[in-house]
Amino acid sequence: MRSLSYVQRVGLDFSGTLFPHAICLGDADNDSLNELVVGDTSGKLLVYKNDDCKPWITRSCVGMLTCVGVGDICNKGKNFVVAVGAEGWFHLFDLTSTATSKSETSSQQEALFWDDQKPCFTQHIPANTKVILISDIDGDGRSELVVGYTDRVVRAFRWEEPPDSTDLSSGQLVLLKKWLLEGQVDSLSVNPGPEGVPELMVSQPGCGYAILLCSWTQEGAAASGEGTPATPGGESPSRDVILHLTTGRIHNKNVSTHLIGSISRGSKDESSKCGLFALCTLDGTLKLMDSSEQLLWSVQVDHQLFALQKLDVTGDGREEVVACAWDGQTYIIDHNRMVVRFQFDENVNAFCAGQYACKDGRNSPCLIYVSFNHKIYVYWRVELERMEPTNLLRVLEERPGYRDLLERLGVDPDDTAAVRELVRDVLYGDPPPRST
Amino acid sequence: MERDTKATCPFVEDSFSRFSSQSNIYGLCQAGDQELLAATLKGKVVCFKYQDFRQKIRPVAKEVQFTYIPVDAEIVSIDSFNKSPPNRGLVVGITFIKDSGDKASPFLNIYCDYEPGSEFNLESIAQSCLNLELQFTPFQLYHTEVQCADGYIETVFLLSGHDQRIHLYKENASLHQFEEHPVERLFPELQELPSNVLWLDVLGLPGGRRFSAFGCQNGCVGLALVEQTGPEILQTWRLQQDSPISTVLLFPLDIRLEPEPHPSADRNRKSESYNLLVTSTLEVAVVYRDVLACGMSQPVCFHESDQYDSVLCALVTDLDFDGHREILLGTYGQELLCYKFQQSDRGQGLWSEGHFQLLWRRSFKSPLLSITYLDLTGDGLRELAILTLKGLHILQHSLSWTADLVFDCLTKSLPLHGEPATQAASAQNSEECFDKARDCRDPERKEQDLIGH
Repeated sequence: MRSLSYVQRVGLDFSGTLFPHAICLGDADNDSLNELVVGDTSGKLLVYKNDDCKPWITRSCVGMLTCVGVGDICNKGKNFVVAVGAEGWFHLFDLTSTATSKSETSSQQEALFWDDQKPCFTQHIPANTKVILISDIDGDGRSELVVGYTDRVVRAFRWEEPPDSTDLSSGQLVLLKKWLLEGQVDSLSVNPGPEGVPELMVSQPGCGYAILLCSWTQEGAAASGEGTPATPGGESPSRDVILHLTTGRIHNKNVSTHLIGSISRGSKDESSKCGLFALCTLDGTLKLMDSSEQLLWSVQVDHQLFALQKLDVTGDGREEVVACAWDGQTYIIDHNRMVVRFQFDENVNAFCAGQYACKDGRNSPCLIYVSFNHKIYVYWRVELERMEPTNLLRVLEERPGYRDLLERLGVDPDDTAAVRELVRDVLYGDPPPRST
Repeated sequence: MERDTKATCPFVEDSFSRFSSQSNIYGLCQAGDQELLAATLKGKVVCFKYQDFRQKIRPVAKEVQFTYIPVDAEIVSIDSFNKSPPNRGLVVGITFIKDSGDKASPFLNIYCDYEPGSEFNLESIAQSCLNLELQFTPFQLYHTEVQCADGYIETVFLLSGHDQRIHLYKENASLHQFEEHPVERLFPELQELPSNVLWLDVLGLPGGRRFSAFGCQNGCVGLALVEQTGPEILQTWRLQQDSPISTVLLFPLDIRLEPEPHPSADRNRKSESYNLLVTSTLEVAVVYRDVLACGMSQPVCFHESDQYDSVLCALVTDLDFDGHREILLGTYGQELLCYKFQQSDRGQGLWSEGHFQLLWRRSFKSPLLSITYLDLTGDGLRELAILTLKGLHILQHSLSWTADLVFDCLTKSLPLHGEPATQAASAQNSEECFDKARDCRDPERKEQDLIGH
């Protein structure tokens, strides 16, 4: 198995403790560059920008923050920062204005400054939150908020406000639906289904997953209607929950499982509508599947995987699956099951991967580890030319006209020794160095 | 203190193999054409290579079970060479100290298989061992070619020790074993040393002469020019530095006398000189220029090379394929530094003005111990292997960039319209490509180069 050592990293100061879902990357201030948003157990929301080790913005929330998110939750064409506490307090922050006014208003009065720090909207929703997702889950082009709970419940909310409202205070979150699941929900994700429509997926213990139907839509209602004869349970809520258990060596049916969907396939031409999604378990199973339930690969490792992300490290538009274990062992796996390993040398409190504008004022793929030593480490140079080890001859073979060129030079393209000799002459023009 | 990185390292890491215990500056050697051997403190030797596997290559680091290394042994140094023709076979030498509690006993094990067919098979070589007990603590194990009395060339081991001596081990072909020979018979310049030698380097010159350089624990650097037949010492130089010498490295460096707008016109005025690189544990690294003509009187320092803790290893080779060598320094401060000689504009004479400029640096996760540059992937392009305290890093040239370069050069080396290449055609070549294209096309020139080296 190929393994690498990433070196270029930035250590950000972070003195609190956090829940594994209270970290995310996103464009919090709508400047097209991504920030790192972290929420801690004392209710502090921290936003880090570029390679500055001090937070760019700190905000206070009510309760223990269990999950944070960045997205266009109000469907206003701009991103807000969402922080949700375990006690059910939902906070909405608009950091766009801060980006421009922060420097100008430095001399403003303390009271105003304090006012500025308050969330622009709060609402109490059911408590015991665990994980959130801001995404379009029903295909209407508008974002919804999905919240996973520690009591095996998932709720979907939509932001609604009067059409003539000017600020957020008149709007509110409206419950769309509640699903009850059999097992703990560790991840929420959206993945294009076999017909290309987005499906809400949640992970289920034992390397399983469930698709939650959005019955407030026409299709969702029809699908649950079709489901009725098959499940003669009458009014059972499970009609809207389609449970899938993947096969394979699952040692423990209850093992914690994570899931991530909508993994980009890159090139448009192999346009299978099926979305790709990945699963990982705490006992070391990793799977890549598509929404028609076809298994692309499965990998077994002997590390406890607790976080699953997607990241395009090769820059070819195809996203690789990134899984991280508690002990820092990180696996990056592409669609062809090529594995690259990286060992982060500390235990990991929380992990996240994605585009972050750490250096040079542009987004680049980053791996982010929250350690137990009051530091968040951002590895900002993790791009790879390719996933697979290869040599120069194979790269040359892919060039059009290469074989023709060799033949014109009088070298047989299939005679590896002769080609190697030619390449050596071209590059070094001298015999191999004296061995020392 | 440090300026911004001028350029980024042109290498990409292809693999990193973590070792179970640490290694040291004598712990890495090339074995055969495409393999590396790395020795770690706790008696384990790892063989690293790229394996062909279903049309793909993959890095493999596998432990090789060298026989007669006890479990409580701590390996000091490892070295390996191919026997000089007409003899065939791979020889691996490993020095270690067996510490059984009361008394530490050092050994040199030499592995070599005489069975026809398995002379290069590492697995079987590792099973045929010659075990020599040493009377001194071993340091660097080195090998070099010598001209023996009856005219043929042979490769021998040179082992430095804490007894202020260098010991020579030479094969006795009839008995199929290695024996210690008095070093002064073949290397008269390596006797009566001022201190323990930490690093030794020997470079053969055309015309049957050689340079020998050594760096000592007390900071002494010795250099000698020797006529191989005899052998006879022609000249010696000694110099005292203030801290232990970590590496000495002899290398030729060609410099263009004048920067020319048309490099093709002045190719033949390029001249080559021999230089000695000395790195020490406290001071900046130094190159003594043109040692053949000036001895050690022309030092050029490497600025900032002492900013990253001790320099522990060095390598001189052409890394960017422009025909000029770069110098790599690996430091205990976890940095790899790449320098290049920059001729200043005013310089008219040989070496008159110029300095080594830091081109780029690259950070690692642990101290750098040893560097080597060899073709591991079997494509003619060499890879940089860097041994650090934690393991072995393989850095590969950016393949897309190198493929572009090779493709360009090959295209330009094609005869135009079926006619033989002319000088006019070559004048159109880009400068970057010129050297290579010419080398491909002009075997005669290449031969001259070979002799030059």
